[in-house]
Amino acid sequence: MSTSYRTSESAAWKAILFRHETVLLLVLVIEWFYFNSVGPRFGTLDNTFDIVRHSVEIGLLALVMTPIILTGGIDLSLGSLLGLCAILFGKLWRDAGLPIPLAIASTLGIGAVAGGLNALLITWLRLPPLIITLGSYSLFRGLAEAITRGVDTFTNFPPSFLVLGQERLLGVPAQAPVFIVVAIGIWLLVHRTTFGRSFRAIGFAPDGARYAGLPVERRVALVYVLAGAVAALAAVIYTARLGQARADAGTGYELFAITAVVLGGTSIFGGAGSVHGTLLGVAAIAVLSNGLVHARQPREVAGLLTGVLLIFALCISAIPKLLATLRVRRQTVPTNIQPSKPA
Amino acid sequence: MKNLLALFIGAGLAVVTGCNKSSDSPAGSSGPGGGKKLTVALMPKSKGNAYFISCKQGADTAARDLGVDLIFDGPTDPDPAKQNEIIENWITLGVDVIAAACENKEGISTALRKARQKGIKVLTYDSDAAPDARSFFVNQATPEGIGDTLMDEAARLCGNEGEFAIITASLTAANMNEWQKRIEARRISKYPNMKMVALRPCDDLKDKAQSEATALLSANPSVKLLMAICSPAVPGAAEAVKQAGKTGRVKVIGLGLPSENRRYVKEGVTDSVILWKTKDLGYLTVQAAVALAKGELKSGAKTFKAGALGGFEIQGDNIVLGKPFIFNKDNIDQFDF
Repeated sequence: MSTSYRTSESAAWKAILFRHETVLLLVLVIEWFYFNSVGPRFGTLDNTFDIVRHSVEIGLLALVMTPIILTGGIDLSLGSLLGLCAILFGKLWRDAGLPIPLAIASTLGIGAVAGGLNALLITWLRLPPLIITLGSYSLFRGLAEAITRGVDTFTNFPPSFLVLGQERLLGVPAQAPVFIVVAIGIWLLVHRTTFGRSFRAIGFAPDGARYAGLPVERRVALVYVLAGAVAALAAVIYTARLGQARADAGTGYELFAITAVVLGGTSIFGGAGSVHGTLLGVAAIAVLSNGLVHARQPREVAGLLTGVLLIFALCISAIPKLLATLRVRRQTVPTNIQPSKPA
Repeated sequence: MKNLLALFIGAGLAVVTGCNKSSDSPAGSSGPGGGKKLTVALMPKSKGNAYFISCKQGADTAARDLGVDLIFDGPTDPDPAKQNEIIENWITLGVDVIAAACENKEGISTALRKARQKGIKVLTYDSDAAPDARSFFVNQATPEGIGDTLMDEAARLCGNEGEFAIITASLTAANMNEWQKRIEARRISKYPNMKMVALRPCDDLKDKAQSEATALLSANPSVKLLMAICSPAVPGAAEAVKQAGKTGRVKVIGLGLPSENRRYVKEGVTDSVILWKTKDLGYLTVQAAVALAKGELKSGAKTFKAGALGGFEIQGDNIVLGKPFIFNKDNIDQFDF
């Protein structure tokens, strides 16, 4: 009895040890200590806040990308949507003369509508999200460029608005509380509601989920609408951080977000993954690109190291599975050979 | 749930110990006057661009001459937020002076102002930020310098008379319009027998420049010279002239990079390429940056002496690099950008 208890306990420990999130956390801690030892100013509070400030927009996109990927989908249009929302926000404020709060609210609405367009095409036409959002990736960016003709830049926002991106409130970067609220909201949605758990069911087996009576289309649609609204929020924060909105805002952010999600252990095929994994993924990438500056290393190495990190993390978490298959094979091999031996 | 808790505790621990350790060692600061080596941070518009790599060579020379640390970093992808991010990193890193070539004026000015608030000296080169975001702008070429040099060179090649056409990036680009106005003023005042017969935009695309130039040549057979005032248009116009079999009969000049035009210059299609010496721009920028950090360069100064290059004129808060340089068959091999 006691031995069986011990083995199950050690198995549980092993499971935790080889959990993707644990490995990633370890990587993050190693990164942190390494950069802290080579860069005298890396570990300061100022720099920590810099890292936070620089990763909020991509972090927001990664957060909403997680439920999408959990359902087996993907959204390539989020970076473009950020650009579109940024310039529409600028237009609403400068050209339509809306007060900032109203312009923010309208932008969030526009983001949700744009996400709704993705959702509509994906669920009604039953086309792969990859194809649909590849289309809207060009559509949203194209719209942004057409509206500004590629040259119009929105600037001179009131200082009270720029606070959101550049200043500190209550000692932390002003955008941090926004990010934390969204992060907690999405974590609760995905991990603590039946609603959110259905995302994984849908990603794991969409037809199974449908037979089980889940309103698959409606739930899938919701994650894309949510993604649109949060991308708009990211656009507002981005605009406040830079003090300008231009059609090329957020170029390539969708890929950073997807990288963070996959690095965080979410299966690209859907069905498995976690929001806290994504947060660790975002942190690992952000610390890496910031730390390299403090280590006086060329920043372009960041891309390379992110790739190495991704492959490393995927390999490590694949080890238990690999060991298990090996063990099964070793156990099955003798029984296969034995009958042939007497002959 | 338990492992989740462990996760967060671990993360918290990492942050706390990280912060503790660094507050133990607050040294590292290379604040001015600390007797430490000055650190100059130089930012290009984009890091892989041959133009800025060449600037860096000059900057390296200046940094070596003056015995300062030079950090050269800039965006490698087209994300307009990257320049701000790097500057904010530099602020935390505690560099002494930042010299930036600004990709987007308004956006980067936010970060540069922040740097100035923190006591970091700021100047710009190549392309300026908002005037209140920097102390000086190292101006590589004034519109007068560019316009006059282009027009003088065109007139010289045409023998002071005949028709010519201009290919520009777009009819709305502010800097191009400025140059073109200057070219026109120079033509009226000095070369009244020269005549501009066409002005065509190429959207900053080489193939569009080529098709525009081809159309231009067949519509205006008497054109003696094509003047391309955006860099992709110079090889584009040269290719058009070459394919039309008009090499030598129609001259090509323009504002561009020597490397992009070397082939055409050697084939005799393009006569001269006009640009400033980018190495000198990098050298002057770092010299000015160090002088600014040491307090030797103050606002209101009329001249600035930059090491081996000698004196430069300061117009307002612009340190002027001087007249553009003409690259031709004889000297183009000495330049590799």
